[in-house]
Amino acid sequence: MPLDLLREEAALCRDAKQAFLANGLPSAKSEAWIYTRLADVPVNPSSPSDDEVAAENGVLFFADGWLQSGADDLPDGVTLSEMRDDASLSAFHAKLPDAHLLSHLSVGHATGAYVLDVTAGAKISSAVQFVFSASDEDYTSHPLIYVRIGAHAHFKMAEIHQSSAPLSAPILVIDVAESAHLDHVKLQADEPQTTHLALSIMDVAEQAQINSFTAAIGAKLGRHETHANLNGEHIDMSLSSLYLARGSQHQDMTTRMHHFMPNCTSNQVIRGVLDDTAKGVFQGKVLVARDAQKTDGQQMSRALLLSRKAEADAKPELEIYADDVVCSHGATVGELDEMHLFYMKSRGIEEDEARAMLIEAFVADALEEIQDEDLSVILQNAVSAWMMGEAE
Amino acid sequence: MPLLEIRNLKAKIGDKQILNGVNLTIDRGEVHAIMGPNGSGKSTLSYVLSGRDGYEVTEGDILIDGESVLEMEADERARAGMFLAFQYPVELPGVGGMSFLRAAVNARLREAGEDEVDQLAFVKMVRSKAKELGVNDDMLKRAVNVGFSGGEKKRYEILQMALLEPSLAVLDETDSGLDVDALRIVSEGVNALRGEARGMVVITHYQRLLSHIVPDHVHILANGKIIKSGNKDLALEVENNGYAGLIDAA
Repeated sequence: MPLDLLREEAALCRDAKQAFLANGLPSAKSEAWIYTRLADVPVNPSSPSDDEVAAENGVLFFADGWLQSGADDLPDGVTLSEMRDDASLSAFHAKLPDAHLLSHLSVGHATGAYVLDVTAGAKISSAVQFVFSASDEDYTSHPLIYVRIGAHAHFKMAEIHQSSAPLSAPILVIDVAESAHLDHVKLQADEPQTTHLALSIMDVAEQAQINSFTAAIGAKLGRHETHANLNGEHIDMSLSSLYLARGSQHQDMTTRMHHFMPNCTSNQVIRGVLDDTAKGVFQGKVLVARDAQKTDGQQMSRALLLSRKAEADAKPELEIYADDVVCSHGATVGELDEMHLFYMKSRGIEEDEARAMLIEAFVADALEEIQDEDLSVILQNAVSAWMMGEAE
Repeated sequence: MPLLEIRNLKAKIGDKQILNGVNLTIDRGEVHAIMGPNGSGKSTLSYVLSGRDGYEVTEGDILIDGESVLEMEADERARAGMFLAFQYPVELPGVGGMSFLRAAVNARLREAGEDEVDQLAFVKMVRSKAKELGVNDDMLKRAVNVGFSGGEKKRYEILQMALLEPSLAVLDETDSGLDVDALRIVSEGVNALRGEARGMVVITHYQRLLSHIVPDHVHILANGKIIKSGNKDLALEVENNGYAGLIDAA
């Protein structure tokens, strides 16, 4: 356990905290937050505790933003260390966008800060799970996680958020070196009254392959912002997501896919299911730099409204400076198709069952974007549980 | 008691009156053909019978085995024994064929207070019935109707009918989009289901289907009313002379 708290010792953290206090939450005029207004967020990071938590193989277990167990049981080729000072924090910090709420909020109030290294060339076949939980409902969670995947390595990771912390505000930076493969899933299944504000940065080198999928079903308000920077040629990136919301839940999926170099492919499939008075937001920007010729950038968002009072906002954007690219985007919002329902009912299938089958089909279509079977099962189970709640 | 009795049925969509007093009585074991020109109300009749939302019955009644079904939802009518073979079968992306068929059959069984089907036995039964109708295994594995040709969709409708064993089958323009071979396969499938247990309503624009599925009675629907009824020779009369003369005479 560190004797000194990073957030108190590191100048980068102190500056970030100052910036957070000076700027406050994004104003109503902030374009990036136009559909997701933050009236108030609690901020109360804890110090690390001595609680013993039984270790589980391949599971990094976090409570209140602090790693409790698992560092000693990682697969060969994977090591975990702490960021303890400005020097170790600076490379991580350099990846973050300037003047971003999360950069200020969670660097300024950092709880645990860790670097996970995957050795170049290592082929890790079992997934490493990052499980985020809370010891009680007082503390807010601000973990800083820096994952560095070496060249030609293969790595699989699952982020599982199941916290009762009033605010979970993790920052995840993933460096993917040349020709590395990453399978990543995130499950946001935090407790109902919580807020989840996440920022993820993926910095990707040439010939890397990324398959990333986020499923958001928890929290009262969730925002999942991912910036992908494609810094080399021949990168193949899939960045997809699914959000399921009911009651007065609010889920925001914000992505920024930045093609800097030629000959890369990016694909984004975003699906949302909204019931009751829930609200879903998709903001997706695909940027193609002038040098990024032969870019293939696809993005498609579809939201399914199960209630007249549910709302979906979509802001797909293309910003293209190269002239030889294939890019497309689209966004649809709709209800279940009346003709689909009638066809099923005309076969004797009850309305509720017919609706459940159609929603399941809509959702399953998105989950098919996940390439890794083991990671897919994690999300499928959580999604099925949500669907069971839907049938009630 | 008749299987189906349609009494002075009037219905509209929005402000548009489409059915203007249809009367029709069908007994078990009978096949009735309803013929009519485009816009005569044939498809509306099939939708109103099967309980599609958006159609307002303004007058009259529909009785199955003497009971009015007007207050019943489409799924309740289906479980009561009604089946509609769609003119344009609906594609259900992502809904697997087998789970769709099983859900439909189980819904019928639950209604009858019987046990749901055993999954393996069900797959076996579906495969054997599918084979008779020229529905191959690949089609059964795909999502419902997705990527099917027009003929495949119609065969899939008849497969569903064979599995659900309705007491009243309404076939809406089942011949549309079929080539000669597909028409023969579909007709054979329908004829195999003819019998004392059920009645059928075959809705069609053309006579050609009726030379394969020979009806006991033929009715001409025009302007939302049945203007003439007869035996199978009436269909030939339409084939030779068209609808215009019949409509003018009515």
